[in-house]
Amino acid sequence: MRPCDVAPPRVVAVDEHVIEVRGLVKRYPDITAVDGIDFDVSRGQVFSLLGPNGAGKTTTVEILEGLRDPTAGEARVLGQDVRSGYRRIRERVGVLPQDFEPFDRLRPREAVTYWARLFDHDVSEEAVASIIETVGLSNRADTFALNLSGGEKRRLGIAMALVGQPDLLFLDEPTTGLDPGARRELWTLIGDLKRKGRTILLTTHYLDEAEQLADDVAIMNHGKIVAHGSPSALISQFGGGTTIVLAGAGRGGSEALMARGIAAELHGADLFVHVPMAGQVRPMLAKLASIEIPLSEIYTKRSTLEDVFLKLVGARMEEGVLAA
Amino acid sequence: MKRILADVTAFGRQYLRSRVGTFFALAFPVILILLFGAIFSSSGTPRVSLAVQDMDRTDASRGFVQALNNTTLISYQAIPPTASFQEYMRANAINVALQIPTGFQATIVRAEMGNASARVNVTLAGDPTQSSFGIAYSAVAAVANAFNLKIANATGVVSVGETPFTVQQFGYIDFFLPGIIGFTILTTPMFGMTSICAEYRTRRFFKLLATTKLSKAEWLAAKVVFYVLLLFLSVAIMMLVGIGVFGMKARLTPVAVLLIIAGAFEFTSLGMVLGIFVRDPGTGEALANAIGFPMMFLAGSFFPIDSMPSFLQTIARALPLTYINEGLRATMVLANDGTAVTYLLVTLGFAVVFFVVGARGLSWKSK
Ligand SMILES: Nc1ncnc2c1ncn2[C@@H]1O[C@H](COP(=O)(O)OP(=O)(O)OP(=O)(O)O)[C@@H](O)[C@H]1O
Ligand SMILES: [Mg+2]
Repeated sequence: MRPCDVAPPRVVAVDEHVIEVRGLVKRYPDITAVDGIDFDVSRGQVFSLLGPNGAGKTTTVEILEGLRDPTAGEARVLGQDVRSGYRRIRERVGVLPQDFEPFDRLRPREAVTYWARLFDHDVSEEAVASIIETVGLSNRADTFALNLSGGEKRRLGIAMALVGQPDLLFLDEPTTGLDPGARRELWTLIGDLKRKGRTILLTTHYLDEAEQLADDVAIMNHGKIVAHGSPSALISQFGGGTTIVLAGAGRGGSEALMARGIAAELHGADLFVHVPMAGQVRPMLAKLASIEIPLSEIYTKRSTLEDVFLKLVGARMEEGVLAA
Repeated sequence: MKRILADVTAFGRQYLRSRVGTFFALAFPVILILLFGAIFSSSGTPRVSLAVQDMDRTDASRGFVQALNNTTLISYQAIPPTASFQEYMRANAINVALQIPTGFQATIVRAEMGNASARVNVTLAGDPTQSSFGIAYSAVAAVANAFNLKIANATGVVSVGETPFTVQQFGYIDFFLPGIIGFTILTTPMFGMTSICAEYRTRRFFKLLATTKLSKAEWLAAKVVFYVLLLFLSVAIMMLVGIGVFGMKARLTPVAVLLIIAGAFEFTSLGMVLGIFVRDPGTGEALANAIGFPMMFLAGSFFPIDSMPSFLQTIARALPLTYINEGLRATMVLANDGTAVTYLLVTLGFAVVFFVVGARGLSWKSK
C-alpha cells in the first residue's frame, strides 16, 4: 500500500520535537472535547490525527495553532507555549483550517500576495508565481476564488499557508468533501511538501489517507488517543495477518462455515475470514475451496488501518461517520 | 504599516468588485439629495413664509426681524404680541413661526458689556419634517449667528438690520446636504462593518486572519482607512450633485474634511463594537438597524435638533452622530468653526473609545 518512493525515515534527535503535547484537556460545558492526550511530532514528519466526527481533532489542532486556549495540560509548538508564545512563531507556522473558504473576490495571485504581506514578506511576482506553481494553480491564478472548484480552493488555502515558508504546516481535513481524483492530487502535493522537509500535522477521517501520507498516526475517539504508531506498526499490532473475502457468500455461507468450525464475520453479503499468520493462508484457502458455498468471488486482502480502526473503535467509519 | 496597507488594498479590491454594495454606498445618498432637492424646488416659492411674534419690541428685536426679511428666504408675517403663540399658530394654520422673547435686547446689551453667560433663546416652532422648516431654521440660525458675531466684535447691534447677510446665498440644499453627509458617515461604515464582522465570523475569515501577523487593531485601522477614502469619494459625488443640480453654495471647509475623517473613524469602530455581538448576518443587520435608524433621525440628519422636544434633544446630545451633523452645518453653512472644532474633538473622543473597545472586545479566536 505504501508508495515505494517515500524517503527513508530520517534519524532525528529526541529533542527535535516540533510539537510536544502533554496531558492536553479541553472541556466545554457539555463535553470534554479533548480528554488528556499526549504526543510528539518530530521535525520532517507527517503526523496524522485520525478519527470520526467529533473526536476532538479540530479542537486539538486549533489549540496547537494558538486559536483556542486549553483547559489543562501542556502544548509546545516550535519550542513555544501555545498559550503565550505565538507572537514569536506566527510566520513559522502555516495553517489550512477545516472547511477553508477563500475570499471570493480575490484572485489566487492577489490572495497569495495579500497573505504574504500579512506575514511581512515583501514578495516579488516570481515568488508568488512559484508558490502558486507549487500547489498546481498556475493556470487558475487569475480567476476569482469564487469560481474555483472545491479542490482548487483547498490548493489556494495551502498556497496561503505556505507564504511564510513555514517549518510547520497544519492541514485540518484537507481532502474532505473532494472527489477521489482531487483527493489523490492533493496527496501528491502533500507528499511533495513532506519531501521538501516540512513538518505536517494532518487530520483526517480517511483511513487510506493516513495510511498513504503519515509517518505516525494517532487514532482519536471521544477526545482520547486510542492508539498511536506508524501505520505499519499499528497494522501488525492491531490488524495482523490477512483477511480472505468470500464475496457474495451471505448468511448461507456463514452458516456453512460455522458448521465446519471456521469463524467468519459477515459484512453485508461478504464473508470475512481472518487469518492471523501468513503461513496459514494457503491451507485455509484450500479448505474454503472444498466447501460448497455460492459466491461471486474469492480474494485475500492484507489488513489495513481500517481493520485496526474497526478493532479499536468497534465500528467502521464512512466519511467521518461511525457505522455499526 | 505595510500590513495595514496590504489589508486596505485587498479589502478595497473586494469591496469595489462587489458592484451592488459599492453602487448603494455611493448612489444612495445621491438619490436622497435628488429626491429631497426635487421636492423642495418643485414647491415653487423660493420663500418660506415665517410668522414672527416679537415680544420684545425693541430696536434689537426689530433689527432681527428686519435681518430675516432681508434674506431672500423668508416672507414675514407678524403675530400680535398679545396672542398665545401656539394657539395663534394652530388657529391660523401657520407652519413655521418664530418667537422673540422679552428681554432680547436687554440680554444683548449685557453680552456687549462683556457678560459671558448672557443667553437668550429665540424659539422656532413648526413641523420639522417639512423642508420649509429647514429653510426657516437656516435663515434664523444664520441671522442669530450674525448677531453673535456682532456682539463678539462689540459693534452696534442696531446696525444689523442693514447688513447684507451671508445667509442670503444659502438655500435648503445647503442646510440639507451636511445632514446627508452625516447620514452617510453613519450608515456606510457602520452597516458595512457589522455585516463584515458577521461574514468574517461565519466564514471563519477571522480565524484565518488570526493565523497571520496582522493584529485586530491593524485590521480595524485598515477598515478605517478604507472607509475614509470611500466616504471622500461619496462626499465628492454628493457635493458635485448639490452644486451642479441645485446650485448649492455650501463648500467643504478644512474642519468639515477633518470631521468626515473623524466620523469615518468613529463609525467604522462603532461597527466593530457591534460586531462583537454579531454571530450571523441576520443579527448583524438587526443590530445595525436598531442603532442606526433612531440615531439618524434623532441626531438631526434630516431636520434640526433644536426643533425637537427637549427630552429628545437631551437624547440627541448623547448621540455621536449629532456632533457630526451639527459640526458640518456649523462649519459649512453657518461659518461657525468654533463650534465645529469642539464637535470634532467630541467626535474624536467617541472614535478613540469605540476603536479601543472594538479592537479589544472583538475576538478572532474560538472559545
Ligand atoms: N466551541 C465549542 N463549544 C462547545 N462544544 C464544542 C466547541 N467546539 C467543539 N465542540 C465539541 O467538541 C467535540 C470535538 O469537536 P472537534 O471539532 O474537535 O471534532 P473533530 O474531530 O474535528 O470532528 P470533525 O471530523 O467533524 O471535524 C465535538 O463534540 C464538538 O461538538
Ligand atoms: Mg474537525
